[in-house]
Amino acid sequence: MPDLLESADPGRRSSTLASSVVNGPLSVKEEVSTDGGQATTDEAVLYFENVSKWYGPVIGVNQVTLELRPGITGLVGANGAGKSTLLRLAAGQLRPDLGSVQVCGREAASAAAKHRLGYCPELDIFYEEMSGRRFVETMARLQGFSASAARCRTEQTLELVGMADRANRRIAGYSKGMRQRIKLAQALIHDPPLLILDEPLSGIDPIGRRESIELFLKLAEAGKCLLVSSHELEELEKLTDHVAIMAYGRIAAVGPLVRIRDLLDNHPLSILVASDQNRKLAMALLDLEEVVGVEIEGDDRLKVLARQPRRFFQKLADLVLEEHVELRHLETLDDSTHAILGYLLGAGK
Amino acid sequence: MSSSLLHYREWQGQYHRPIWAVLPICRGALAMLLRRRLFWALYAFGLLLFLMFFFGTVLLDWLESQVPAAPVQVGNFKTDPDRIVKLVRQGLRVLNGSQDTFAVFFTYQGTMVMVMLALTGAVLVGNDFTHRSLAFYLAKPMSRWHYIAGKCLAVGVVVNLLTTVPAVLLFFQHASGDINYLTDPDFFRDGSGRGPAGLPLLAGILGFGLVLTVFLSILLVAAASWLRRTMPLIMLWSTLFLFFRLLAAILVDGLRYDPRWRLIDLWNDLCLVGFTFLGFEEGAMPLPLPQPQMFEAAIVLGGLCLSCLTYLSLRTRAVEVVR
Repeated sequence: MPDLLESADPGRRSSTLASSVVNGPLSVKEEVSTDGGQATTDEAVLYFENVSKWYGPVIGVNQVTLELRPGITGLVGANGAGKSTLLRLAAGQLRPDLGSVQVCGREAASAAAKHRLGYCPELDIFYEEMSGRRFVETMARLQGFSASAARCRTEQTLELVGMADRANRRIAGYSKGMRQRIKLAQALIHDPPLLILDEPLSGIDPIGRRESIELFLKLAEAGKCLLVSSHELEELEKLTDHVAIMAYGRIAAVGPLVRIRDLLDNHPLSILVASDQNRKLAMALLDLEEVVGVEIEGDDRLKVLARQPRRFFQKLADLVLEEHVELRHLETLDDSTHAILGYLLGAGK
Repeated sequence: MSSSLLHYREWQGQYHRPIWAVLPICRGALAMLLRRRLFWALYAFGLLLFLMFFFGTVLLDWLESQVPAAPVQVGNFKTDPDRIVKLVRQGLRVLNGSQDTFAVFFTYQGTMVMVMLALTGAVLVGNDFTHRSLAFYLAKPMSRWHYIAGKCLAVGVVVNLLTTVPAVLLFFQHASGDINYLTDPDFFRDGSGRGPAGLPLLAGILGFGLVLTVFLSILLVAAASWLRRTMPLIMLWSTLFLFFRLLAAILVDGLRYDPRWRLIDLWNDLCLVGFTFLGFEEGAMPLPLPQPQMFEAAIVLGGLCLSCLTYLSLRTRAVEVVR
């Protein structure tokens, strides 16, 4: 693991998310605005302030400062990076040894905070003997609803997650996708502003995934804050481009993927280009200060390694117009969440 | 999924206080237990003793009503029916509704309770820890103590269904036969000189039930959260309530050790405290002698309860540990 880890700037609680990436000899801190259709409000829905958590001699989360507003944030990282600890801290199931975690301005472990968050844990086996409807209704009662309100909201939420017609079956007979929906239903039962979802897409079939993603996007549009932990990086990319990357208990980077990729100066962006005049284009590209190198791939393609991708693409557009080159193919090779995660965790691609 | 239904009605009412979460936790645990045939089979078996007491009393009353007032002569043998009834009643004193009745009833039902708890502990409590379902509970606005209280309540319901509830039914069966039984605390002292009746006896029954409920529920929740599975739970339960009972008997009755060694027999401790509620004086309890003092047994039970609660506090906090 290289020395890439730095928590986000602890002092910032402005209307932007603080993103920081410390990469080898370089240390870049930059303010990154939330985007991707995410609503913003003045109050942070979830706020970690210099939070540390130890398990005996092992540190689970190390000086994490993170501020989430309405919208979807993906939480990614290798196994043991501290994602589960972070989620449990957010859900109020863990108390930090140092720092504080707040949900809508309330201490996360308090009842007031728990009325404002819905937690969908990763576990798949629970109350096998119960029917899905009974389980959700019990969770509604635990949430503090009266019996009639619990019944009413159970029906509404089951309808919402598409389980109303199958909710009378025992959970033991549910598929993994159905279990995910039931877990989601119990998290949504009180319509919380913050949803913490641990691997919500795991085990769901493609149609179910699409429906889940649609639902999550709608929830985000409705002004909710979703913190989604997932190993399904491709699916996560469909959900959001705003991610928090964890490694060794720290937030290695947080913000839109494009901006995080921009900050990885040690790893120039690989771009596959094909044009009608590859040699001419290659020579012109090498004159650009952002271009680190150009490789010829096969007969008709160039692989360009470039820093500061945004500026590179602007210059590439100008260059194409000036040189009258016809671009036939343009593809970035390593700006995916998977690639960024690999770079940040020091595993290459 | 029906995304168009996203804006379901916003909750405008007041949430219940966290203490109310105890009830759905208890109900959820019992619901899972009541679905199992094994529970009903054990419960039916456990009720056999109650039925024996119930119909035994009815039979005795019927016999009394059938005996003629005049002396009965069979051949040359002539006898007084009242004397026969008295002899039968003396022989079946256990059915007369006195403290002895309930002492015997609780003692025998206790065996059934132990079997029931050993077999159902995993369903009531253990599965939550096996499947790590605590995450669902603790994400709701309630503390781990509410969870523990809910589970203890569920175990308490099972214990009371087998002990206190049938015992109270027996009490009222006797009260329905003779109103003095209910109103006169000295109902038995006038006749046989043994124990209270009436409301003191009812209070004693409820007290014994309370001791059983509190101790066994806390012990079972702690044991099931530790061992989780049925087989280990049966082994632990057998050790606590069978092996230690035999060991105590060997040490005190066989090897003449100090009577305090009997304190390792938890059922004996429960009986010592419970029989005191029923109005037995120390030394006159239907327990093998010598016995330790009642307060010593109470200290052992109280200490164990505190230890179990401390463990449960740590255990439910241990859900935090990443496995």
